[in-house]
Amino acid sequence: MRAHLAAGLTSITADDVPALTAGASLLGSGGGGLVAVVDALLRHRLGRVPVIAAADLPTDALVVHVGVVGSPDVHDERLINPADLAAAARAVVEHLSGELAAVGIIEIGGMNGPAAVVGALELGVPVVDGDLMGRAFPSIEMTTLAVAGHAAAPLALVSPNGDTVVVTRASPRMTLSVMNGTVRAMGGAAALALYPTTAGTLVESGVAGSLSTCVQLGRALLGARGSDAHTIVDALGGRLLAEGTVDDIHVRTDRAPGSITLSLLDGSVARIDHLDEILAVSHDGRMLASTPAVLNALDASTLLPVRLDQIRAGQVMVVFMLPALHSWPPGAVDPAAFGLDLESAP
Amino acid sequence: MLRLGIDVGGTNTDAVVLDGTRILGVAKTATTDDVTHGITTAIATLQALGTVETAHIGAVMIGTTHFINALIEADRLAPTAAIRFGLPATAALPPLTDWPERLVTALGGHSFQCHGGHEYDGTAIADLDETEFRAVVHAALEAGARSFAISSVFSPVNAELELRAAEIIAEQVPGAQVSLSHEIGRMGILGRENATIINAALRELADTVTSGLTNAVASAGISAPVFLSQNDGMLMDVDHARRFPVATFASGPTNSMRGAAFLSGVQDCAVVDVGGTSTDVGILQGGLPRQASAEVNVAGVQTSFRMPDVLSVAIGGGSLVERGGKGVSIGPNSVGHRLAERALVFGGETLTASDVAVAAGLVDLGDARLVAGLDRAMVREALAEVGNRIAGAVSRMRISRDPIPLVAVGGGSILVPKVVDGTSSVTRPENYAVANAIGAAIAEVGGDVDRVFTVAPGGREAAMDQARQEAVDRAIAAGAAPASIRIVEVEEVPLAYLPGNATRIRVKAIGDLTLESTGVLDRD
Repeated sequence: MRAHLAAGLTSITADDVPALTAGASLLGSGGGGLVAVVDALLRHRLGRVPVIAAADLPTDALVVHVGVVGSPDVHDERLINPADLAAAARAVVEHLSGELAAVGIIEIGGMNGPAAVVGALELGVPVVDGDLMGRAFPSIEMTTLAVAGHAAAPLALVSPNGDTVVVTRASPRMTLSVMNGTVRAMGGAAALALYPTTAGTLVESGVAGSLSTCVQLGRALLGARGSDAHTIVDALGGRLLAEGTVDDIHVRTDRAPGSITLSLLDGSVARIDHLDEILAVSHDGRMLASTPAVLNALDASTLLPVRLDQIRAGQVMVVFMLPALHSWPPGAVDPAAFGLDLESAP
Repeated sequence: MLRLGIDVGGTNTDAVVLDGTRILGVAKTATTDDVTHGITTAIATLQALGTVETAHIGAVMIGTTHFINALIEADRLAPTAAIRFGLPATAALPPLTDWPERLVTALGGHSFQCHGGHEYDGTAIADLDETEFRAVVHAALEAGARSFAISSVFSPVNAELELRAAEIIAEQVPGAQVSLSHEIGRMGILGRENATIINAALRELADTVTSGLTNAVASAGISAPVFLSQNDGMLMDVDHARRFPVATFASGPTNSMRGAAFLSGVQDCAVVDVGGTSTDVGILQGGLPRQASAEVNVAGVQTSFRMPDVLSVAIGGGSLVERGGKGVSIGPNSVGHRLAERALVFGGETLTASDVAVAAGLVDLGDARLVAGLDRAMVREALAEVGNRIAGAVSRMRISRDPIPLVAVGGGSILVPKVVDGTSSVTRPENYAVANAIGAAIAEVGGDVDRVFTVAPGGREAAMDQARQEAVDRAIAAGAAPASIRIVEVEEVPLAYLPGNATRIRVKAIGDLTLESTGVLDRD
């Protein structure tokens, strides 16, 4: 099922945008924000953005990770300005007095994969074929670089009004709350640049090739359109977990997970546990799959992956998993790391 | 009180009169270019039946595809200025960015951005710059715009700027048509703004069509109030329809499915509506159409409407039947509304699906002798192909692998075989050909709330109560009898990553139409 990590992309053009955003939706695992907002930006601006593997950059080349942070609902209203993404990256580069070689992707899943491509386009530099999550996660600390002991700072946050906050140093314990306070002041969302690092460090600690994988997954999804859910899951190299009708939606609260119950054909019950992304799928009380596996739900009639906020009672869903793109150390991103008291899937 | 339901489709205008749940009369006539003539004919046909006392008609409900067709054809659209308040945010994607070129041209392509908009908590992104806005209005007028679509960032939370903009336009251009996004769409500026622009572009046509409709009804001697069907199957009065034509867009499939539920008594089933050119397959759950999960693309424009989940197959009564190397093929080409000239049974030259149905003895239409010579094997093969295509669509739409009942409606539904794979039964109820008009006639009225509430600690119930009350108030304002109002939909979604427990709450209340508030009783 790892066959996707094949031939690397050398560039992204407007023709690749549908596959890029479709793949990013899949790797968003039910969350990761609103891909449509960045999709619109890319389709209207994209010429060609070179894609480069970290291993093909000089070892000491500077890479800054660019994306957006905050509430998808705010992005859906305020949209995203490529100039803000570039301003955030420049603020970090300026602080380091370095020269930017390439833009890195924070999380390939959801809107941040395509957002980094928008940033690279605006800055006129290549984008690295890889990311720091291999999917979407809710927290900026759930990155391969953080796990390897690298700091997110110096980091920069930019508001639509151009307000720029540079955090020169941030301890792992405080990074998130410092960022959250700033994002709140910026209206609940901001452009973000962080995890400045070298290409050499990324070769050691990044998720290599995930941008290529994302586009390939997207192509497979779009290519299988018009078939049926089982064919699509096969084409993606995924594994079918459950197929049924949404019965009950237990809405998540601030940080307490929510769940969605499905009635399956044979009368049994499947459950999806989630925060911003789908974290675990169980069947009659037995865990079938859990994070970091990429868990998705397809709408049975549109055959498109749905975000958690689009799921309604009575909807028929096909739930499936894609294998994680990266092996994480025990405890880093398993269900317990999200406050779920569940056993991890075997 | 009698209800007159009228469906103005692309091909036919159908009318029904209901007394409670009893059907007193039905009529089917051809749709005319001016809409109203077809309605006048349909009403005259009903009156000629002798079973309907038009003086006792208490309400007229009209469903029409006129507005969505105008958009699809990019025809009769008003030159429209799309003005957004959001700068310095949102600058990268101006209004009309993602629209098909043809529509942008039809609208005049007037897209403007001004400073303003709000944050999720209702505070201003930037102050309104009246000088800037007045200059934009002036530029739009100079460019020929006649209708204005105003959107503002987070206007579902704070509509102040859109309302102020409407005041300023009214000062500068008395009587100008203004559409405000917070009155039309949901959260998500691009979808809401697009719906608002579409609405603005249809406002002039809406003036003509709604006055045409009321005149047609009045000239038939009916003094009852006129309502139009909305996307969700609820009714709006004519004045509302004049201001919000975009709300009629999905009324066609909604009415046909609700009509099918009424006629068949089946509340959970697949509804197959066969028209002249295409067949729509939808799913009824508890008597209501299943809604599409994603945002709906209309004529190439992404909008934030919620619409019924419908799968269309290019097969209808007018579809061309052709015999080729790979056997018999049906559609996608169709003779459309020219069936009565071109089909074999009417003396024409074209072999259509209707001819095949007549040859097989499924329906009495035209002159059966004209198709008596058709090859029997070909007729069987053609009908089997129709069955397979419909079965394929139903299997993609149905909610489980279990077979579900199928209810067939629409003028072309005689083509639906008695047995369809994957269904437990096939029913074609009496009056199947006028299901849309029935759906319009039985519609109720409703009120919606969909906005962001800041929920104080322990204040969840209060916020939900407030939302429920607003929905009920809106249903009453729309004409619902207070005692009949029920809440049919409640949804709360906390906004991710935002402090202050900002929660998006959607509530929908519906109730029976009361005519007391409309003055009808005074006229009796």
